[in-house]
Amino acid sequence: MSSVAAKAAPPTAAPATAKGKRHLTDKQKGERKLAYMLCAPAVIAMLLVTAYPVLYALWLSLRRSDLRFPDASEFVGLTNYITVLTSSTWWSVLGATTLITVVSVAIELVLGMALALVMHRIIFARGPVRAAILIPYGIITVVAALSWQYMFTPENGFLPFGISQSALLADTAGQYIAIIATEVWKTTPFMALLLLAGLAIVPDELHEAAKVDGATAIQRFFRITLPLMKPAILVALLFRTLDAFRLFDSAFVLTNGDFRTVSILGYDQLITRLNLGLGSAVSVLIFLCVLIIAALFVKGFGTAAPGAGDDR
Amino acid sequence: MRRVFRLIALAAATAGIAACGSDGASGPPTLNLYTFTAGSGGAFEAAVKDCNEKAGGRYRIVIQDLPPNADDQREQLARRLAAKDASIDIAALDVIFTGEFAEAKWIVPFPEAQAEEVRRGTIASTVETGTYQDQLYAAPFTSNTQLLWYRKDRVDSPPKTWDEMFQQARELGGANGVIEIQGAQAEGYVVWFNALIQSAGGRILSSPTKVDLPDGPTRAALQVMQTASKRPFADPSQPTQAEDEGRIAFETGGPSFMVNYPFIYPSAEENAPDVFKNIGAARFPSVSASEPSAPPLGGLNLAVGAYSKNREESFEAAMCIREPRNQLLATELGGLPPTQESLFDDEVVRKAYPGFADLMLESIKAAGPRPATPAYSDLSLGIQETLHPPSSVSQSDASTLRETLQDALDGKGLL
Amino acid sequence: MSAGRERLVWTVGLFFVLAFALIPVLWLLSLSLKQTPDLTDNAFLPLGGITFDNYSQIFSGDIPFPKYLVTSIGIALIATLISITLGAMCAYALARLDFPGKRIILAVALAIAMFPPISVVGPLFDMWRNIGLFDTWQGLVIPYMTFTLPLAIYTLSAFFREIPWELEQAAQIDGATPFQAFRQVIVPLAAPGTFTAAILVFIFAWNDFIFAITLTSTDNARTVPAGLSFFSGGSQFETPVGAIAAASVVVTIPIIIMVLIFQRRIVAGLTSGAVKG
Repeated sequence: MSSVAAKAAPPTAAPATAKGKRHLTDKQKGERKLAYMLCAPAVIAMLLVTAYPVLYALWLSLRRSDLRFPDASEFVGLTNYITVLTSSTWWSVLGATTLITVVSVAIELVLGMALALVMHRIIFARGPVRAAILIPYGIITVVAALSWQYMFTPENGFLPFGISQSALLADTAGQYIAIIATEVWKTTPFMALLLLAGLAIVPDELHEAAKVDGATAIQRFFRITLPLMKPAILVALLFRTLDAFRLFDSAFVLTNGDFRTVSILGYDQLITRLNLGLGSAVSVLIFLCVLIIAALFVKGFGTAAPGAGDDR
Repeated sequence: MRRVFRLIALAAATAGIAACGSDGASGPPTLNLYTFTAGSGGAFEAAVKDCNEKAGGRYRIVIQDLPPNADDQREQLARRLAAKDASIDIAALDVIFTGEFAEAKWIVPFPEAQAEEVRRGTIASTVETGTYQDQLYAAPFTSNTQLLWYRKDRVDSPPKTWDEMFQQARELGGANGVIEIQGAQAEGYVVWFNALIQSAGGRILSSPTKVDLPDGPTRAALQVMQTASKRPFADPSQPTQAEDEGRIAFETGGPSFMVNYPFIYPSAEENAPDVFKNIGAARFPSVSASEPSAPPLGGLNLAVGAYSKNREESFEAAMCIREPRNQLLATELGGLPPTQESLFDDEVVRKAYPGFADLMLESIKAAGPRPATPAYSDLSLGIQETLHPPSSVSQSDASTLRETLQDALDGKGLL
Repeated sequence: MSAGRERLVWTVGLFFVLAFALIPVLWLLSLSLKQTPDLTDNAFLPLGGITFDNYSQIFSGDIPFPKYLVTSIGIALIATLISITLGAMCAYALARLDFPGKRIILAVALAIAMFPPISVVGPLFDMWRNIGLFDTWQGLVIPYMTFTLPLAIYTLSAFFREIPWELEQAAQIDGATPFQAFRQVIVPLAAPGTFTAAILVFIFAWNDFIFAITLTSTDNARTVPAGLSFFSGGSQFETPVGAIAAASVVVTIPIIIMVLIFQRRIVAGLTSGAVKG
């Protein structure tokens, strides 16, 4: 999913447009009609299955709506939001989710960069390496989580700290470690591929010139490679951050729903408790968090924003 | 574009076929009985076989398996009933689900004639667990209760109260001073708290929507929890021990006391003969000497789904499954106590609970059911989150608990 | 001198990359081949000898794994076909035609790509239970299709921009309507890119867990990820670790095959947009 991400920039406008002309020729009219016809099904589908439910969630979040009390449905204004925002549970879960997001994305960035450098530099076995790192990307998250879960359980696992007496997954710190490890394993390849693509556009001549000037490999990396890769890094970070923030599958499977991220908290209210009003308030707040994260990144992009036109 | 429509049509057709699979067009209606089977040693399978034979072609019951623990069972059933699933004809509900399922209109009350028949001869406390707003929504099939299991070789006479037990355990000291309780953050912990507060003369709710938790009894119950979490009474892994972990610990021979269900008895016979020959059974201890104890109550009740297309047959089938002969099958095969009082004199029951069948009956009759409220699952979560682990319990939790639980009942808390 | 050392450094790096990527997969494979008593031997490899019992168990035993597999494949294929069809139409318009509102469509697609699924599962659950889509194939196909549309649109429009469009113009000069030109000239040219997008979409639908566990409740429409967590989670009794590992390996094999055959394309699909914009 997150890969779409990568395509943040809009495609090039068709050449030879008729900008500035007041009157549309028949051909242009036909073209527009065709364009709308072609886009309509996709756009309608996207709006029906996301925009409409989000509005519906907004409406539900302003109501007491609990499937266990079908007769007690009523408008309650912002009560559900007040409940969530004054609850220590919400803030601790939000904190836990943020911690996991920041730590795993940071590790992924460093590891992903290392992976990208390795893949960029090796001249042999490129195909096998690329195939190998695509496996974590393609594997079902639940399957990945199960594999890590079995590594960490005292009965089955082979990791030395997993088979120590106290089960790692039974305490909070251990759960953080397991969730972050799984997340990093699963998504570093994606990060690495984006960074590898960014590396490819750093011109070799710059490196050669710097080498001649006596710059060390480390200096060249920080002074040349990194600045030039800034757009690619920011795009990768944005999409991985948003992806990590909505973390659900691996945490749910690894700890059998015990460890809660904001998504799991929402799930518990909506599906386990069937309290649609309260759960929708949580959902809407998660959505707002995502918007805020996206806005912060877009602000951070500044001129480096993809699609800002520098490379086109 | 035409391809798209064809695909949608294909998908619709496929799902249509799947949906039709369950009820055939002709022949006797198939009734789905949703239950967790492995816990009852084949009793459900045997009862279903019996009823299908007796039905003489009017219906055919088919078992659909549920997950083993109560929380997962509830989640499955609730989600499907909320989605108006017509395939749920009969469901074996844990005693705590009645209020929630009835209020949500997911199950329907038994017709008065059949309800009358169910009540006849059935232990009152178990009928109560299937009753919501004076209507019988779920017919008691099996029951269950916790006893105090103690080591006859170490304790002369079993303690009547928790304080007496603490005293005896302290004298034994060390590994023998351990008292096994259900300390894991799960329903079993709520069972324990509920039994303590009722044994102290209080109760959690005064009505399905109102928290009671009177100060004195609440403090007394919290006091017992605090003490039980201290050495030597607490097992080192107390905060993660549920019923089965407690059983395993008791079978090691260390602990001298345990509150638990009777499944531990045949298990000890098989796994720990040395422990087994010294096991004594007594009534669940009380909190105050002047108040009799209110032992925990478990069990499975049979309810009929609100969206079942074969309601009449489903009631008939539920009535058949809970027939005394099938209750005895549950005792014989699964070690689960019956709900029909007279059956406690039956040879099968006396054999299943050698020497403590009467005690089981006494315990079930005196039991204090957990609160009947549609918000039970929230209430249970609220108790677990406020009072867990036992070592964190303090007297000031009484007021926090009152607030948290009232919020839970009002549907306000985030849990 | 430094060239030789550098090569060594990269070789060691390469080794770590392979180990990093493959250990969890090999671990599942090893677990799936272990004999039941060896499951708890805390060894990475099946040292006590290998067995295929776990595999025969998932295809013949009580676990309805074959059904999950059929459901997963069916739902993912249907969702992929619909998503690619709709996405290709839209991407063609975006890449090729001139019309106002382009940026809005792209913004909508981008927003949906970032969208947290938990924000819609509650409403979808409520809607589906009321219109009878709960626990059906369609009930999953619809959200999968929607959530993969942005992926399809972006990937496909990136590929479509690479196509030599002069051919289409030539066809139009020869008297073909724009729609005919699209179908007869462009579709064959676009096939490889479309196939790449289809793989990415399929992986998404194949991978999904949150919709699969919230919008289904029986084996009617339960996919493999939901099924796996269902027969592993919350049991008081022995978890069938060997069987779960075997099932995991089975569902990972198609991914590995796809990755081996189409790695170049997948990488291109995943990254082209990020760099070239």
